[in-house]
Amino acid sequence: MDLILDGIRTALSLIFSLDREVLAVTLLSLKVSCSATLASLFIGIPAGVLLALSDFPGRRFVISLVNTGMGLPPVVVGLFVTIFLWRNGPLGFLEILYTPAAMILAQAVIATPIVTGITIASIQNLPANLKLQVRALGATRLQTVWILVREARLPLLAAVMAGFGGVISEVGASIMVGGNIKGQTRVLTTATVMETGKGDFDVAIALSLILLALTFGVNYLLTVIQQRERPR
Amino acid sequence: MKKTRYLIAAAALLCALAIPATAAGPDALQKIIILATTTSTQDSGLLDVLVPLFERESGFQVKTISVGSGQAMKMGEKGEADVLLVHSPEAEKKFMADGFGVTRRLVMHNDFIVVGPATDPAKIKGVSAADAMKRIAQSGSVFASRGDNSGTHAKEKGLWKGAAINPEGQIWYQQTGLGMGQTLNVAAEKRGYTLTDRATYLSLKKRLGLEILVEGDSKLLNIYHVIELNQVSWPKVNSQGGKAFADFMLAKKTQEIIGSFGVDKFGAPLFFPDAGKKPETLGL
Amino acid sequence: MSNLLEAENLRIRRGGVQVLDLPRFSVATEEKVAVVGPNGAGKSSLLLGLACLLRRETGTISFKGEPVMERGETAYRRKIAMVFQEPLLFDTTVLDNVAEGLRIRGKGREEARDIARDSLELFKVGQLTGRSAHKLSGGEAQRVSLARAFAVKPELILMDEPFSSLDLPTRIVLAEDLGRILHESGTAAIIATHDRLEAFHVVDRLLVLDGGIVVQEGRPSEVMAQPANAFVAAFRRTSYSGL
Repeated sequence: MDLILDGIRTALSLIFSLDREVLAVTLLSLKVSCSATLASLFIGIPAGVLLALSDFPGRRFVISLVNTGMGLPPVVVGLFVTIFLWRNGPLGFLEILYTPAAMILAQAVIATPIVTGITIASIQNLPANLKLQVRALGATRLQTVWILVREARLPLLAAVMAGFGGVISEVGASIMVGGNIKGQTRVLTTATVMETGKGDFDVAIALSLILLALTFGVNYLLTVIQQRERPR
Repeated sequence: MKKTRYLIAAAALLCALAIPATAAGPDALQKIIILATTTSTQDSGLLDVLVPLFERESGFQVKTISVGSGQAMKMGEKGEADVLLVHSPEAEKKFMADGFGVTRRLVMHNDFIVVGPATDPAKIKGVSAADAMKRIAQSGSVFASRGDNSGTHAKEKGLWKGAAINPEGQIWYQQTGLGMGQTLNVAAEKRGYTLTDRATYLSLKKRLGLEILVEGDSKLLNIYHVIELNQVSWPKVNSQGGKAFADFMLAKKTQEIIGSFGVDKFGAPLFFPDAGKKPETLGL
Repeated sequence: MSNLLEAENLRIRRGGVQVLDLPRFSVATEEKVAVVGPNGAGKSSLLLGLACLLRRETGTISFKGEPVMERGETAYRRKIAMVFQEPLLFDTTVLDNVAEGLRIRGKGREEARDIARDSLELFKVGQLTGRSAHKLSGGEAQRVSLARAFAVKPELILMDEPFSSLDLPTRIVLAEDLGRILHESGTAAIIATHDRLEAFHVVDRLLVLDGGIVVQEGRPSEVMAQPANAFVAAFRRTSYSGL
């Protein structure tokens, strides 16, 4: 019990003294996970809309792949991305292993199926004739996609939260592709694992509290937006 | 919808901040050195002192990847690192014999110790390392092993072999697959024994409730070498950078820093500099 | 009166079944046509096919003498409008709902809203501009849907059972208003319905569809005098008002 109290005490002192390392680690966590989430939105939402609205042979197979991807273990993603990014691997020429870029890549791979899957469900949940009504109003294909996404914006915000939540908290892939390098690729989750491994539990608890606060803060913001827009 | 626009703008701003973190020009690449080392070396904090010093002096940027000695050497075999700082002599010798490294030089040593509960049910206090292993096995006391092909794990396996014991599959032999700190915690929780490097033990001593029971045996020496990798097999290896780092580790000034590291915190140095010495003089 | 819309050899299959087979179909400028028939007769397929919203097996559709090619479908749809049985309103205010068709055609927000306000007035729901679309009654919502369709000043409006989900008193009033508006604006219309009410109140011509084929066609009074099948005969028997 002392340990936890010690931890909380250290946590508060680190946070309030704006410890430079802790700040750097927190900022990098945000940068990496926000970038990855944004990337996953750019790919996942259009892909989800496409899969929800179109019809082509093998569509159901692709959707089941997406649904499987939603549960993809991050550490598996990390392993495969690392293998691809190795100097002598197929993407080695990119030279991004052990940089934040690699972490953004791995996290985007983790988040994209989540965003795509929820988008598919959100669009399919719209009234069946809505797409026809929008086309009947003279909308081009692009305008139709935009309008339908707008109509499904509330569940899509849930997709954003799910995608972000999935990556800000993941550690397996981040450690493998990032290397937890001080000042370069160390984020809240990887630092927590390291500090725990060293036995510095108070620092580990501090980092955990910050991570929780961060995740809560972002989700709170998104939830307020989502609930404020509710029609009731 | 306005709020959504602000949110997107904020996120885009964050991404823009992330981009400098990811950009690297083509020349920058020869400035990067991937140093594969072990978790215990990293956790001791020594590299946090040495690496920035090296970076400032040489202009290279070091990416320190701390994994077990086993994984570090595998990375070396595949050319995915430029220089190794490891402590698993048997494996290293094979590594060199297979032609993966160009030079292997002695840097420093510290020692391992066997720790356990003060009650010492297996009665190993003060005996030799080999005897201690025998007594632990005979009494069936819990022993926490790293189980991860790290240097510590390799040393531990060597000790079991030396005592002619095979602990695999025995119920008292618990392989954690975790780092040293966590393995120590497991040993403490289960009131068992474990093999650890002195540095990690000292930094966690307060909380553990484990005592040093066996130390000083020459078999418990933990020897660190720096290995430069072979650019012939893997052209992408930064051999210039690797050499610069290896030379740095053996430089007189660096060796002095190594010898004084930890004194203010623990009252005794955590490492003993050995550049230029022959391994035989260490009793190995 | 020249032909506004012409369809030739229109055949549509859905789920492997032939649901529509029309050798010739046309609507003249300002003409109002009702398409009646039981459920499954092919009314919806006809309307969707005419709007190029449903893939057709064969057939050409011409608007004002020009055949509608695949590339020109969106431009064609911008000259017509369609409403469905459900209002299908967007998750926003009533005003912005009605303005949407204009925004799609590139009009600025304020200009679109001004035109939308007029359209809402026309359908007697001008006081609902600021209301959220979810907070409307069935009748109000359908009026808004109609206002949205008329706001773009279409030359032809397609209506797929527009009043089927409304209660009787609402339907009577709305059908009257619609008939008047159609007449005053000179908009051509094709109304699919299985109910006599809309069919008689507003139309010049009645088309009876059964199993995807036209079984009878003519002015409402003619068709009623000589019903081609049981459905039309039953149609005649139900009387609400007017005719």
